[in-house]
Amino acid sequence: MNIVVLMKQVPDLVEELEVDAGGTLLDRAWLRFITSEYDDHALEQALLLKEQHGGTVRVLALDMGEADEMLFTALAKGADSAVKLSGDFATGIDSHSAAGIYRHALEGASFDLILTGVQAIDDLDGPAGAMLATHLGLPYIGVVSGIDVDTANGEAHVRKEYPGGLLAEFTVDLPAVIGIQAAMQPPRYVPISRIRQTMKTASIDETAAQGERIAGAISVERMYKPERAGSATMLEGSADSIAERLLDILTEHGIGR
Amino acid sequence: MDLTAAPFLGIPEYALLWALSAVCIGLFALRIAFFVRILRLAKPESRLHHIGKRLRMVMTDVLVQPRFFDRTSAVHAIVWPVHLVIFWGFVCYAVTFGWSLVKGLVPGLPIPWPEEIPIVATLVDLFGGIVLVALAIAAFRRYALRPRGVKRTVDAGIILVLIALVMLTSLAGAAAGIAGRGEATPEAWLPFAGMLAGLFTPSGAPALQHAFWWSHMGIVLGFLAYLPYSKHFHLLASPFGVFLGQTDAIGKMRADDSAEVEGRFDLRDFTWRELLTPLACAECGRCDRACPSYNSGEALSPQDLVHGLKEHVLAAGPLLLRANGGAAALRPAMNGAFPPDAVWACATCASCMEHCPVRNEHLPLITRARRRLVSHGAVDAHLRDTLTAFARYGNSFGQSERARAKWTQGLPFRLKDARKEPVDVLWFVGDYASYDVRVQNITRAVATLFDRAGLDVGILYDAERNAGNDARRIGEEGMFEMLAEKNVAALSHCTYNRIVTTDPHSYNTLRNEYPDYGLSAPVVHHTELLLDLVRGGALRVSPLSIRATYHDPCYLGRYNGVYDAPRALLRAVGVELAEMPRNRRDGYCCGAGGGRIWMEDRPGSGERPAESRVREAVALGDVTVLVSACPKDIVMFQDALKTTGNEGALAVRDVAELVLQAAAAFAPAAQEV
Repeated sequence: MNIVVLMKQVPDLVEELEVDAGGTLLDRAWLRFITSEYDDHALEQALLLKEQHGGTVRVLALDMGEADEMLFTALAKGADSAVKLSGDFATGIDSHSAAGIYRHALEGASFDLILTGVQAIDDLDGPAGAMLATHLGLPYIGVVSGIDVDTANGEAHVRKEYPGGLLAEFTVDLPAVIGIQAAMQPPRYVPISRIRQTMKTASIDETAAQGERIAGAISVERMYKPERAGSATMLEGSADSIAERLLDILTEHGIGR
Repeated sequence: MDLTAAPFLGIPEYALLWALSAVCIGLFALRIAFFVRILRLAKPESRLHHIGKRLRMVMTDVLVQPRFFDRTSAVHAIVWPVHLVIFWGFVCYAVTFGWSLVKGLVPGLPIPWPEEIPIVATLVDLFGGIVLVALAIAAFRRYALRPRGVKRTVDAGIILVLIALVMLTSLAGAAAGIAGRGEATPEAWLPFAGMLAGLFTPSGAPALQHAFWWSHMGIVLGFLAYLPYSKHFHLLASPFGVFLGQTDAIGKMRADDSAEVEGRFDLRDFTWRELLTPLACAECGRCDRACPSYNSGEALSPQDLVHGLKEHVLAAGPLLLRANGGAAALRPAMNGAFPPDAVWACATCASCMEHCPVRNEHLPLITRARRRLVSHGAVDAHLRDTLTAFARYGNSFGQSERARAKWTQGLPFRLKDARKEPVDVLWFVGDYASYDVRVQNITRAVATLFDRAGLDVGILYDAERNAGNDARRIGEEGMFEMLAEKNVAALSHCTYNRIVTTDPHSYNTLRNEYPDYGLSAPVVHHTELLLDLVRGGALRVSPLSIRATYHDPCYLGRYNGVYDAPRALLRAVGVELAEMPRNRRDGYCCGAGGGRIWMEDRPGSGERPAESRVREAVALGDVTVLVSACPKDIVMFQDALKTTGNEGALAVRDVAELVLQAAAAFAPAAQEV
């Protein structure tokens, strides 16, 4: 059971977000990065499957934000190898470009399963996993919150949660790409001492990010903070005075008499 | 009189005594050897410094046993005299038994029997009688009054009966001796034996005296063999435990000495002193009664935890010794000795240790178990989020470090940035004081007081991190190290003479643990500094007329002995202090320490510690304010006021708030906070 996990860094919302002068990107001067929560769940799910079935977990990440820290943490948690795909990601990367890079990195590689977060908060786009699957010629299923692997038959049973308290189970042939909504357990805690130890003893493989952007990408026209659209006026006082004031307002706006 | 010279069934009696002694002492020695071998398997730990202090601990805690005195109720208070009598009775009987044994083993030895010396005979008689009375009281307490934490085990019953039989056979033997002498003048004053003498006829007395002597010797020898197999072993182990007890500040935890042997967690991963703890335990239940988590119905019983380790020593010890220290599969059993929900329920208030009559050390066991769980990532979701926040932002609130000094906004004066200019006093503010909106007004009050007093003070602003006291007590040693290193690095770039902190948890680790990481400046708590400022006249106050009670924060009181400064400060500002029944070393934890504030209470558990404390304050009847000196207390008690419906009855305040109130009359006109 060899699993590949794709992880990335997204802006940390504890800091105030600012839009840069160009008006289409976040101002990176104040930006701070954190591991995408969904990717953390994808890693956890991979580690759970490894514990159950043996095999290896290989983590791939683009060199953005605190990628090294994220990869060492993944190794400390139990991943077997970590690859950092380096390139110029100073202004971020859209999902089409990311899928192109991952496709290049994974073409011809041997694996049973690719797990990644179903989406990330910085684009709320979602198709990276699906595009990767399409271009690798693999099945894709997303928004998954539970996986059981049947190694004998080379298939996985995955669960999705639907609104209204419904669950659906799908069977998918392996290898496959799966977009994780939540792992079957919350992501594990790894003690600092182990991360520090891992930083001393383990290493991250680094290769240049290559691969063509998959066509059909969208681009951001304008990024801005929600604008205030008017405000409510509270009428206070006795019922009679409120009624009178209300009538005035309606009349003022040409409603009624 | 030669009691063992005659033959019995053709064998000289002294030979029988030799045989019996050999068997019983042999059984005793076998067990002792087993315990010694177990302790030798364990890790080393140095406990031979402070010899003078150790001898003083033995003089008091072994010979006088003041820790036994529990004033919380008569049921518990009675134990001190009862146990002391039984203890000294034991000492007396142990001496005379040894003496009798030697005399019995060697017939014709030219020394008298102990009872032939009048003063010894009188002592034996008096102790025999008084110990029987003490035993009756002890049994009545255990079996009729049934106080909490006192177990009615078979072991406990056997021991009470055996001690009683030892006394009874001795008294009966002496009584038979009196009866045998008939009208002859008694050689010694034997009031208790005298009462029993009427039971025997002069003709049958010598034979009975002989029989009682043998029963006495037999029972004591049997007791000797049984003793190390029972909880009564405490009488041998606990004097060593007391002598080898903790003499350093309890606020200084040992660094993680985990062997890093993959997959191993067994007795070899404990220090010998940690393994001595279960052997010295007398199962008195005092730790349970002192434990806020136990009293709240959480899964923790310190007594059971220690007992669980003893059971593990007995079960796994022989396997480990037989395997010659090899790979014995002991992990599951060890986890059984430390159930995770019990281990996590501890608020590290140290009340168990403070109240343990034999100076046992529960907290190192809990930390060891916690470190183990943390190394496996076995922490609950809330705690995991908190630890992740510590790692990422240096605070438990998961807020940006840039927001740490936000509380200073709105102060009508500028607080110095200690990173940029030298200060006399560097104020290490602490997480709750900085980030919690319920505490920030107290922090601003402290700042205002410092400003009024003209104190040359500054803070670290964004560079301060959580001090790591609680992370360390959660068992996340690496986190503690990382936080300590960052703080020490930040401090090393500042010029200052001393540190003040508004947080007892930070105070504890800065004062006791940071010196290992390179901090050398003196550390004071804000109540200590404010007291100096008021006494020195730098801070002018006019007396308040408030009646209040003061809660001792665990990390200020029990951990660091700061009981008087906050009280003196309160009195200095005219507060009339009423003490709660549980005060000073008996102070009752609010339940927030050791990371508990970031964990869920057990569903269905009882009255929470903070609620118990608030009710205790309300029950004083005539106080209007519950005062504390710890930001976590403020948060816990404010919450408990609401959940107990006492919002109208009591206000929760920090000492500094009352000082500010008292200083109000001298505020500069332009400055109203």
